[in-house]
This record gives sequence, structure tokens and C-alpha cells, in this order.
Amino acid sequence: MKRAWLYLLMTSILLGLFFLSLQVGVVHLHSSIWDLIGKHDGVDAATVWEVRFPRAMGAVIAGAALGIAGALSQGIFRNPLAEPALIGLTSGSILGTIAVISSGMAAFGSRTNVESAILFAALSAFLVYWISPSKGFGFLITGIAISAILIAISGLLISISARPGIQSLSFWNFGSLSLLSSHTVRVIAPFCEFGFILALFVSRRLDIYSLGESSAHYLGQNPKRTRALAIIALAFLIGPVVSAVGTIAFVGLLVPHIVRLLVGPGHRKALTYNAFVGAILLLIADLLARVLFQPHEIPLGLITSIIGAPALIILLRVKNSQWVAHD
Amino acid sequence: MINLEKVSFYRADKLIIDDFDGQLNSGELVLLTGANGAGKSTLIQLIAGVLKPNGGRITFNGKDLSEINCKDQALLRSVCPQRRDFHLAFKVKDLIELLPAQRRSFALQNIIEALELDKLMHLPVIQLSLGEQQRVSLAIALVQESNFYLLDEPFSAQDSQSIIRIIKLLKSIANEKGVLVISHSAENLHSYFDREIKLS
Repeated sequence: MKRAWLYLLMTSILLGLFFLSLQVGVVHLHSSIWDLIGKHDGVDAATVWEVRFPRAMGAVIAGAALGIAGALSQGIFRNPLAEPALIGLTSGSILGTIAVISSGMAAFGSRTNVESAILFAALSAFLVYWISPSKGFGFLITGIAISAILIAISGLLISISARPGIQSLSFWNFGSLSLLSSHTVRVIAPFCEFGFILALFVSRRLDIYSLGESSAHYLGQNPKRTRALAIIALAFLIGPVVSAVGTIAFVGLLVPHIVRLLVGPGHRKALTYNAFVGAILLLIADLLARVLFQPHEIPLGLITSIIGAPALIILLRVKNSQWVAHD
Repeated sequence: MINLEKVSFYRADKLIIDDFDGQLNSGELVLLTGANGAGKSTLIQLIAGVLKPNGGRITFNGKDLSEINCKDQALLRSVCPQRRDFHLAFKVKDLIELLPAQRRSFALQNIIEALELDKLMHLPVIQLSLGEQQRVSLAIALVQESNFYLLDEPFSAQDSQSIIRIIKLLKSIANEKGVLVISHSAENLHSYFDREIKLS
């Protein structure tokens, strides 16, 4: 019963924020959203349906994907401080995106771009997995080191690229939803959906996996397979999002902590909540990014960092009983 | 029957287990003893399939362990490791019911009562004492329905009354199943065991 109410509450908040995202912005609307439904001409209709709608959809998809990816990362590394960016997935996606754009193989937001981001994300995470000396801590340190190298290569490619259309490194480091078009949203959605389905499947294994790799084996689960499936799911969640909006910090890290406070530690039961909370957080952050310093828009990644980092510290201090660190 | 034939295992060039032969049959409760570092836990991990022997053969009912996948291994044997690191605030009930219902022991309720977990079922595991956590860990292993139970220090951090309850529970499980127990605190319990294997 509690769960039904929680779903209802989250759906209402999500819909409310979505509506607000269509309503609010630099361009002042002269007619209400309800009157614009089904209309395509005029400045108001163009603003709402061609700019704000894909942007809000993008925020929902990216937020949901980041929330789920965060839960999956923390589950698979059995570490409450893990997030996709720490294990090379984000930097891999950035390199995959910049490699195809700067070489002229594909345009920003195209299908090839997204596929390349997914491929590079998966390769980077597997690379980290193979070369890390030990599990746990060594894994995260290796991830940070590999990420630094991949970001450096990306920066190099941007510097020597002759293409004026390529975004600056700071766009990729502090993500933004400002470049989202309805085309891009349509391209990334099915990939993220596949990642979500795979994540649902993996999450059923993560409760057992949380007892450790040996325990998982004792209980009849192949832990290596769980890890590999999780990395593939993560690549499909992170690759498309990063290729379209860049790095959005702290969402993946923060969301699972909020969800554990709301519904407890189970991965299988909590997965959809991670999607909801992620989407809600990102809609709020994007609204703030657009509204705070009008008419200037600030990068979304800045907002999520400024809100997310202190929130995480508070959460950890208020309720550190949701997890215990052993190493 | 679990059969070990000339099993040897090296860790970092050091010979831990040297040409070990042994069996575990259904219907017996066996104590595995040996000095610290004699390889007792290693032996259980070898039988459990998380370590691979450098020589020799381990078979379950005649089938080579290396040909049995993770899932089928878990139907044949269940393992309680020396320690499990609980790091999430799962309730005891959630952990005991981790496996799908059809893979849980029919004796679930007996196990919960014998391990005195009935009053702890709705508490988060990470708030329990070490002794309580050990009993939860043991319960996870015993609830898993299988033919053989390999238990590494199931009495650790338990008081004498709990130890008696646990050994009686293991004895009843060993009516049909094979149970192998590593323990340092079994001096007074020899009468419960059918035999002892000494590792040197």
C-alpha cells in the first residue's frame, strides 16, 4: 500500500514538473499549454513543442537512466560511493562521441554517434575491469586513472579538430540539455530503454550479489556474468545520455541514496524508484539552470554539482545506517 | 557423495593442500580439524568451486566439479563462509528469503527457531551483534536446499547454549544430508560427530 502511494506521489511530482518545464523559460508564452496542444504554428507552439518538450523528455530519460545506472554501479561494486563516471563509463562515452564527430564519421546526436558512445563506454569499463589489480578500492582508483586518460584524449581530439561544430570540452564536462532536439531524443530513447530492461534483469541478481562474489557463487549465481551484464546495461544507459547531454555529475551517486532512505536496500524492488527520483531531480535541476540567471543559461552539471554534493554529504551524515563500509 | 582424489592446491607457490584424499557421504556429520593454516577453509572453497585445484579431482556423485555450472553446484552443496560482509541494511527476513521459494529448505521454520532468529526477522542485519550476524549467515546457508552442507566455523561468536542448539540442528540435518563442519570450539561436541578428518 505504501508503495502504491509512493508511485502515485512520484508520478504526480513528475507530471507537475514536466508541465512547469513546458511553461517556464526565457520566451514568455502568450497562450496556455492546453490551448497549444495539437497546434504547430506560431512562436508559442514552436517554443513549446520544438524546444521545451524534447528538452523535458530528454531530462526525464537522462535522469531515469542516470538514477538506474547509479543504483547498478553501487550494487555491482558493492560500494556506496561508486557511480558510472568513476569506472570509466562516462569518459568512454565522451571519447566515443568526440571520436566520431571530430573524424566526420557522424553528426552530433546521430545514431552512429550514440552507438559509438555505447561501444566506447562498454570497452572502457571492461578495460578497467581487466587491468585493475584487485576488487573494490583498486577498481575505483583504476577507473579514475583510465577516465583521466580518456578525457585527455578527448580534449586532444577537440583541440586538433578542424570541425567548427564540435562542442568544447567544458560542454562535455558540465552537461547541458540545451542541444536536445526531438530527433536526438528519438534516437537515444530506444537504447536507454534496452538498458533499462537489461538493468531490471540484472537487478534481480544484485540482492544475492550484495553478499559478495563468493557468497553469490555459493548461492548459485555466476558473479562474473552478473558483472558483465551490469557493465553492458550501464553502457546502454550511460552511452546515449552522455552522447546527447554530456556529463551530469552527482545524479547517479545521489539517487540510490535517496531511494534507499525511501524504500530500503533491495535492488530489485527499488529499481523503478531510482528511475523516478532521477527524472524528478534532473527536471528540477534543468528548470533551475534555465531560470536562475535569466536570460543566461547555466550548465546543468554545475547545478547538479552544487545541489548534489552537499545533499550527498548531508544524507551520509543523517542516515549512515543504510550501509556499512568494510574496506 | 563428494569425493576428493589426490587434490592439491598452491597459493603463491606455497603448497597449501598436498595430495588430499577424502569423502563426504550423505547422512553423516563430519568434523574437519587441523592447525591454523592447515588449509581447512581452502578445502571448503575448493569443494565449493570458488577455488580451482592445481591437481587431482573433485567429484559430486561421480560427476566432475569442473563440469557443473554455478547454479547446479548450488543445488548439490551449500556453503557457510567464515564471515560474510553484510554491508546493506537488509532485514534478516529478506536475507533468509533471498533464494526463490522452491530452492528453500522445508525445514525453514525449524532453522529460524533453532538459530534464535525469530525475534530478529524484521531488524536490519547491520544493526545486529557479530554473533547474531553469524547466525544469520549460517541460516542463509542452511535454508538453501541441497545435498551437502559445508560450514566454516558455524559456532564462532556463539555462547555455549547456542552452540548446543546449533549442533543439534546440524545433527538433524545430517540424518539425510552430508554435513562438513570446520570448528575450533568443538572439543566437547565430539560425541555428536560421526567422524573427524584431520588436516596436517
